[in-house]
Amino acid sequence: MTRASLALACIALAACAGVLGLRRSSLPEVFPHRAHVVAGVSCTRCHAGVDVPGPALHLPDDAVCTSCHTRPHDTRSCAGCHASRTAVAELVEARAHLRFDHARHAGATRGNCMRCHDAVAGDAARLRPPMATCFRCHDEARDARKCETCHRDLADEGALPASHLAHDGDWIREHGARAASSGDLCATCHDRESFCASCHGRTAPVLPAATRFGDPQRQSLHRAGFAARHALEARSDPGACTTCHAPDRCASCHTAKGVAGDGRGTPHGAGWVGPTASENRHGREARRDPASCAACHGGAGEKLCVTCHAVGGVGGNPHPPGWSSRQPLTAMPCRMCHPTGAAR
Amino acid sequence: MTLARRAAVRAARRPVTLAAAVCAIALIAPVASADPLRLRADALASTASPAGLLVLDTEAAVRAGVSAEAVVWMANAHAPGEASTGDVLVVAVRARMRRADARVGRFVATLGALRPEHVDGGGVRVQLPRRIDAEFVAGVPVVAGGMAWGWVVGSRLSRRIGDGGSVGIAYAQRRDDGMLAREELGLDAGAALGVRGDAAARVAYDLANPGLAEVALTASYRRRGLRGEAYAIHREASHLLPATSLFSVIGDVPSQRAGTVVTWRAAPRLDVIGDAGLRLVGGDAGAELTLRARLRLDDRGRSMLSGELRRSGVGEDMWTGARGAARIALPHALAVTTELELVVPDADRGRGAAWPWALAALAWDGGAWQAAVAVEASASPEYRGRVDVLGQLGRRWGR
Repeated sequence: MTRASLALACIALAACAGVLGLRRSSLPEVFPHRAHVVAGVSCTRCHAGVDVPGPALHLPDDAVCTSCHTRPHDTRSCAGCHASRTAVAELVEARAHLRFDHARHAGATRGNCMRCHDAVAGDAARLRPPMATCFRCHDEARDARKCETCHRDLADEGALPASHLAHDGDWIREHGARAASSGDLCATCHDRESFCASCHGRTAPVLPAATRFGDPQRQSLHRAGFAARHALEARSDPGACTTCHAPDRCASCHTAKGVAGDGRGTPHGAGWVGPTASENRHGREARRDPASCAACHGGAGEKLCVTCHAVGGVGGNPHPPGWSSRQPLTAMPCRMCHPTGAAR
Repeated sequence: MTLARRAAVRAARRPVTLAAAVCAIALIAPVASADPLRLRADALASTASPAGLLVLDTEAAVRAGVSAEAVVWMANAHAPGEASTGDVLVVAVRARMRRADARVGRFVATLGALRPEHVDGGGVRVQLPRRIDAEFVAGVPVVAGGMAWGWVVGSRLSRRIGDGGSVGIAYAQRRDDGMLAREELGLDAGAALGVRGDAAARVAYDLANPGLAEVALTASYRRRGLRGEAYAIHREASHLLPATSLFSVIGDVPSQRAGTVVTWRAAPRLDVIGDAGLRLVGGDAGAELTLRARLRLDDRGRSMLSGELRRSGVGEDMWTGARGAARIALPHALAVTTELELVVPDADRGRGAAWPWALAALAWDGGAWQAAVAVEASASPEYRGRVDVLGQLGRRWGR
């Protein structure tokens, strides 16, 4: 890279710093809690009444600040510059969504706020204690997965889990493996039956929740031009479609749209069935994705296979080497070739 | 009973099921005085089929520890691929006790590593001593537009590990018309490994036609703004079909996919996500590559730009695509959004060399009321060119 292009990249980065969120000087700074603690200012001197139950946020106003800082350097409100707006917003959200009462904890902590708010020592922007702090005493609620002990409504709160179930990366692919072992954890936020059913339900063609076209960042399997590329995706990921759709979904949709099947054309090109191996793509495709075959040829249509694939027939034994099954031979599809229930 | 007779019985039951769900919604409303009733109605209209869709979604706490919910949809035209013009997605009552919860009605049963099953029935989960959980589900499998002639039972036993993990074993059996259609054993495990890592695994084994049905492994590690995840999936499509299908006999080619996903917070408002993997299906191999970037234009992410490049597929089904999306928040709770996608298949087979798709929408979120209108234009293997108009109107009552 030449010096000119390097300089150009730096200029571009500087120009975009605001958009990227790198330049944050215009935002309020973090309140210097540590300095006040070191100066011997008690917590309740500014946050008066915090140990009294009630809806108040107990944030200090200008009068509290000017009781010590008698000559303020600016006429504007202190909190406008010396308090983080996001911290205030978090406080409001916490009051709305958490069941918490400072008054009930004052006794257990013997009035020592730092016992829970230990982030004050580091002047952290976020002073709400992490859940691990709560679990130091409330381990029973954790073990019993009783989130409602503290959280009024996790779904409305919009809180995402911090670690094991962070919804990062390709969450649609990943969620099945995670939910398998932690379904009850998922249910702490997604406790409605319709949450799973909106994708895994068998009755609905499409729900608005899955097609929020006003929110393009919303993850969905069928976003954007899925209708155009669905055939490619289905053949590249055999069995994925049947996670949610019935095996006959392809045929019923194609028939309804008049695209294929129903005697009005076939999706199979040349070389599908023939006397030589090169003209027999159907076998390879069937083994690769039997679900797509079953979409049209399921049920009674499977007779199509056993007309050739029978012992002594041109297609030979349909069973792969080492085949075994616990199904009775009198059940379908076994009885198509074993009508008497006897192995041949 | 003949297939035609069954279809007739199903068709006759459909309005009854739908009416029962609507009655359930009506009954829930007056009973739910202890807690605000939540009701949501969404109407979706489109110039493409289905031309109209109405969804009623309600939830209420009937009394302390007992809640009920129902989701019913109705369409004014037959939806593609569906034989019905309306059905019940969920109608369920859930009761929570100190160490147990139970549900009854129509819901999706998820038992560890086994595939989710939509059932009409009941389920119960009990917390036993030593952090052991036991779960049981039984019911009739739900099929689109009516009821199945069969039943499904399943159970899962698990033990919790730490704050965010567990290991479990599950078993389920489904019979259609009395004949074994599915019998599976599932093993699952997942746990947080310290504060930075976690891992999860699920294995489903087909007992009806012995063989692995599905295996999924995933592990991730995060540090500061970087998160890396490795994954592997093995799936045998034949074992995912009902055992009563002949294709469960002839199909034995597994598909596999493995790769890694890296998520990087390159700047406070910029996320970059890369996914590199390999896919194997029946002797064919293909690369799975995705590069995605997401830029929030404000701290809360109300306005956002995103772009994505993708290479996907196997063999002749490979394709390359690009997608861009933008959402710009406007005053008065309005937002304008646009999405563009271009897909170029490796083999066009006379279906067109490129499939573009575009959507422009205007959305309004007024709290209780939400509305959106969009224009969608596309060219696909099905249509050389197509323009559709979509409209959506939603209303919420309660919280």
